[in-house]
Amino acid sequence: MLSVRNVTKTFHAGTVNEVRALRGVSLDLPDGAFLIILGGNGSGKSTLLNAVAGCFRPDEGEILLDGQDVTRWPEHKRAKLVGRVFQNPFSGTAPTMSIAENLALAARRGQRRTLGWALSHKLMSEIRDRVRELGMGLEDRLGNAIGSLSGGQRQALTLLMATWLRPSLLLLDEHTAALDPKSADQVLRVTEAIVKRHQLTTLMVTHSMSQAVNLGDRIVMMHRGSVAYRFAGADKQRLGVEDLLGRFEELRRREMLDETAASLLEETYV
Amino acid sequence: MTLLLGAFTIGLILSLLALGIYISYRVFDIADITADGSITLGASISAVLIVGDYNPLLATFAGFLGGMAAGTVTGILQAKFKINPLLSGILVMTGLYSVNLHVMGKSNVPLLSGTSLATWAERLGHTIFGDLDYNLLGWMVSVRDLVMLLGAFALIVTACLVLYAFFRTNLGTAMRAAGDNPQMIRALGVNVELYRIMGLALANGLVALSGSLLAQYQGFADAQMGIGMVVWGLASVIIGESLTGSRSLGLAIYGAVAGSVLFRLLVAIALRWGLNPNDLKLVTALFVFAALVLPQMMPRWKQSATLAKAPR
Repeated sequence: MLSVRNVTKTFHAGTVNEVRALRGVSLDLPDGAFLIILGGNGSGKSTLLNAVAGCFRPDEGEILLDGQDVTRWPEHKRAKLVGRVFQNPFSGTAPTMSIAENLALAARRGQRRTLGWALSHKLMSEIRDRVRELGMGLEDRLGNAIGSLSGGQRQALTLLMATWLRPSLLLLDEHTAALDPKSADQVLRVTEAIVKRHQLTTLMVTHSMSQAVNLGDRIVMMHRGSVAYRFAGADKQRLGVEDLLGRFEELRRREMLDETAASLLEETYV
Repeated sequence: MTLLLGAFTIGLILSLLALGIYISYRVFDIADITADGSITLGASISAVLIVGDYNPLLATFAGFLGGMAAGTVTGILQAKFKINPLLSGILVMTGLYSVNLHVMGKSNVPLLSGTSLATWAERLGHTIFGDLDYNLLGWMVSVRDLVMLLGAFALIVTACLVLYAFFRTNLGTAMRAAGDNPQMIRALGVNVELYRIMGLALANGLVALSGSLLAQYQGFADAQMGIGMVVWGLASVIIGESLTGSRSLGLAIYGAVAGSVLFRLLVAIALRWGLNPNDLKLVTALFVFAALVLPQMMPRWKQSATLAKAPR
């Protein structure tokens, strides 16, 4: 259960580089819902995801997770509730450490790190089983440094790490954008399987229309830091790629109209 | 032979310094110059306590704690006050110079009076090997030199095992991850800043322990003994890496120790062959420079060599 209430964020406020990244965004995501956030470059979709993850504090507004106000929680504290997969496949794993060690780190997400062995026998066999389920043949290479794997393999493992302990919210930040089509497909299949099996509340940022159409049960389309369109339920099921492209075109035209109108006003009055 | 045993012993003692530098330089990717001050801090705390007739184990442990405190300060400057890591180290190192003088009350404390770990080792040695020189594989060596080497060896092996075990615990793996990929481990719920502080505390604790043992071995602590020690530690770590050719945890720890011993031996031989002791620091710095630059240059040379050979 995630509630984002009227969140505002301006970067570099008061300078020439001022960016109003979020202008009063509100979202409600019930348990088990799978929300896709769409939007062009600079629409604020990744900023919204980062706000939920806790990378920065919003200027205004509140973020509630599992009924708790987490607006002021630092990122590492929110990790107790949030599992996260990054866009860059290198961001989600520690490259010089082994596959098993990376998973062992994830097995204690948000918990106290004690002086007990990181890799107990029990955990090792659990790791082997769950890595086998990925179907990538990595279960025989658990001792290898994770940096030696391909982007797709690393992203699939990151997904497994983010969901090793069931998170209250799973954040996916364009997590297939940096992969080749074949790996992207594979990672998407793993994503679907994991989300379905654990019935995870999921928030996924993407700019792929086909992903938006095929995945999830609701869509939010962002434009210039605020929500432009929302689709849910039957509307979302009926939605096709052409419909989404149409809406994008509409947004673009409206923006151009704004600009022409502005220049017209400027010519007339200035 | 005495020279060889001495070089081995000092190499082993300084391998704790190398392990500390390994943590700050390889795990956290910081050239932490605090070590120049914390090695002296460890030496001076232990020296003062030993002269004051405290238990040598207690004195050694106090030195270790002193180093941890120094590392904590450096860590806080970096993590909480966002001061550049190199500058944080320089600030603490500079401050420690005065602290060390205050701890010792003068610039040099000899350990002639008081019981140190070295005294204990010597006594133990005489009960085992007798009072006379010992015949080691046909060489006559003094019992003191022999027993110091054995003692240092036992201590270092213990320290390495403890460190290796620590880095395989939940806490230790998280600490390595905090150096390897902060973004990832933060998303897994670790307070990266705190772990960085703990890591630097551990690193400087080991460095101070090395200083404490060095003071007890050589029989004095001196305010100047820390100068250039970071570079010394870096040289050991780099030699160790080229020896083992690996950055896996166990081999890296072994490599740091082997590198420290080998480097000390090389220095002892060079001094024996007439290297001016005044040139030692310059040679060490040049060595580290070469070790840092050569791996980058090698592929380029190879490339140009093949280009030159290729028919046009």
